[in-house]
Amino acid sequence: MDDLLICRCEGVCMGLILKAIDEGSTSVQGVKKRTRAGMGYCQGRTCQPILRDILQKSIGQNEIEQTQKAQAPVRPIPLGKL
Amino acid sequence: MKQKVIVIGAGIIGTSVAYYLSKKDVNVVLIDAKDIAAGTSGACDKAIMLQSKKSGPTLAMAMKSAELYKNLEEELGEDLEYENGGGMILINNEEELKVLYEHVQKQREAGLKVTIITGDEARKINPNLSPKILAATWCEQDAEVNPLKTAFAYAKAASKANMTMHLNCKVTNLIEVNGRVIGVNTTQGEIYGDCVVLCCGVWVTSLLSSLHLEVPIMPRKGVILVTEKLPKIINCNILGGSYIVSKLQKEPPEKNPLGIGLSMGQTKSGNLLIGGSREFAGFDSSVNSFILTEIAKKAIAAFPCLQHVNLIRSFVGFRPFTPDNLPVIGEVPTVSGLYIAAGHEGDGVALAPITGQMIAEIVTDQTTEMDLTPFHMSRFFESFTY
Ligand SMILES: Cc1cc2nc3c(=O)[nH]c(=O)nc-3n(C[C@H](O)[C@H](O)[C@H](O)COP(=O)(O)OP(=O)(O)OC[C@H]3O[C@@H](n4cnc5c(N)ncnc54)[C@H](O)[C@@H]3O)c2cc1C
Repeated sequence: MDDLLICRCEGVCMGLILKAIDEGSTSVQGVKKRTRAGMGYCQGRTCQPILRDILQKSIGQNEIEQTQKAQAPVRPIPLGKL
Repeated sequence: MKQKVIVIGAGIIGTSVAYYLSKKDVNVVLIDAKDIAAGTSGACDKAIMLQSKKSGPTLAMAMKSAELYKNLEEELGEDLEYENGGGMILINNEEELKVLYEHVQKQREAGLKVTIITGDEARKINPNLSPKILAATWCEQDAEVNPLKTAFAYAKAASKANMTMHLNCKVTNLIEVNGRVIGVNTTQGEIYGDCVVLCCGVWVTSLLSSLHLEVPIMPRKGVILVTEKLPKIINCNILGGSYIVSKLQKEPPEKNPLGIGLSMGQTKSGNLLIGGSREFAGFDSSVNSFILTEIAKKAIAAFPCLQHVNLIRSFVGFRPFTPDNLPVIGEVPTVSGLYIAAGHEGDGVALAPITGQMIAEIVTDQTTEMDLTPFHMSRFFESFTY
């Protein structure tokens, strides 16, 4: 279970996520800052909802702070095309 | 009984203060409304740049801080992605060269190892640099570090030394009795202590106002662009000359209201962090596409190979700005037991270790090695205009 890949872009597995929660993360942002999950090429499109579920199950909060703030760009875009 | 010190704010400044205090024989309590590095320290760049500092108290402090960074990974037993790889300011034309030449002379007099190198010498260090770059400044003492990792590592080391930490715990006001602070009210109840250190960055003003004190710290918004991971294409800290030159020549801010100027670095993971802007826009965290385009243009002009590199994200951080560009460090006048370490504007990462060390000294021994007078909060009391 600890080896389950949660964030593909950054190669972050379940074990690291649980450790980050153990160390005090109570938000998707907190897990991201401790592990890099959600910091990669897809910017958490796949793993952020999963992170929210894991957080909800582990610390039982109903109001987990929402995913990271949406910020430009919506999709990766070459610097020369901005 | 041991002295009990409450530190409010777990950014890079608060965690540093907590760490250096924890090395003294005191009980430390670190409180944050959200999380470690949830504020500006989690939305910033990573430069420990010395050559961009004005010669005077800030440069002197930054040089001491840079020394402390050298052994920090070993001291904390963590990888902080620290790299003493130097830094350069890119010079685009003769006029910039003239202004930066004078700046470099002043820095050298202050003891910094900085020189002007030719465009070709600069391209030897950074082969991807545009052939149009005329020259550059070069300072081998400039370094970089991951501010997130640093804040987490400071907090971890302090926790090992018996620090207590309360996250998701907002301080609502300070408890003062007869001119002395004795604790704090928080969303998790009251916490009492012998002294309180305010390390809440740009948010410090609201806690001070609960004691009817004011300090002119305000948010100066900055946008950073994050690219996809790339093989190593930048080998040191990079700053564009034009912004520094306009600052040195004291050009009116109306000429560049968004404060756009180039800063670049590559993280250990391979992402480029490209900045930036300097804007007074309150706490508005939206990113305007004009700013992204302008910053990207500057980056491509300096490194043409970036044309086809993908931008994956942008973020906004709020620098804790002070009108005289000096941080506020030391005792809060009129309230005993209360200290402040805030207002580091765009230098908080670079200045974190020395700030923590100085606060730890003054809180426990009532004295510091460095003269804190230039940083004292009372400097704002006579002429309070912004
Ligand atoms: C775009 C950008 C780029 C930058 N680049 C660099 C750089 O390359 N090099 C450099 O040296 N500096 C840089 N800086 C500056 C640096 O990021 C800041 O100076 C530094 O992060 C400030 O740290 P801090 O700990 O004072 O504040 P913060 O990190 O903001 O920490 C304050 C903490 O206090 C907490 N808090 C606030 N109010 C309360 C309350 N009432 N109760 C409890 N907790 C509270 C907050 O939650 C927060 O965690 C940059 C800044 C920006 C915006």
